[in-house]
Amino acid sequence: MNDIEHTANLGSSENDSSKSVAIINSKAPYSSSMGKDALDVALIFGSYEQDVSLFFHGDGVYQLIGKQNSMLIQLKDYLKTFSAFEFYDLETIYVCQKSLEDRCLTDRNFHIDNAVVLNTKAFSEKLHQHNIIFRF
Amino acid sequence: MSILHLVRKSAFETADFELCVNTLSSSDQLVLLDDGCYNLHHSLINSVKGNVKVIQSHAQARAITVNTKSQFITMDVLIELTFKHNSVVTWQ
Repeated sequence: MNDIEHTANLGSSENDSSKSVAIINSKAPYSSSMGKDALDVALIFGSYEQDVSLFFHGDGVYQLIGKQNSMLIQLKDYLKTFSAFEFYDLETIYVCQKSLEDRCLTDRNFHIDNAVVLNTKAFSEKLHQHNIIFRF
Repeated sequence: MSILHLVRKSAFETADFELCVNTLSSSDQLVLLDDGCYNLHHSLINSVKGNVKVIQSHAQARAITVNTKSQFITMDVLIELTFKHNSVVTWQ
């Protein structure tokens, strides 16, 4: 399984050799461009009808918290684009419960609806079901 | 000799905040800015004696609420604080 082989399959989601992609978000939203980069990659895979799942753990869980307002620090709010996930068929979103608990974010006030909170073991198992993993 | 400590990183990401808390003395002032605001809800904050100042816009942008031991300030106040203390340490 190499990158060239994967690129060749990009246009053909019906192909049996089509691979599932996991994108891991592990950074807080505003102090680096990592979160935005992960979003861009997810939307590109989505627009090519690839099988993509999003994983949020570590400080990446901060990207899901509601009532944020990046305009206060003069940044474009890329988190709003998360609401477009369903139009790109990005419907599998997993969140690490341990990461939420560590950060006192257990009230689950997410700005997207379809995020599934999993314990560490289940989170790992879901990740292992994917052929290709990108970590941001 | 008092020090103004500026924390800009999440303690969940780096050990900077832990090192800062271990370095704090009673005459020092702690200010959280950028991703440092997330530390307001980290367990290490309980080891901080005295009040914690937080840049309001940075915390509100991240939907972080202040608690009883913390206080919102603006950048203007931060600049005043740099004059009140003998030196400044930025943890990032």
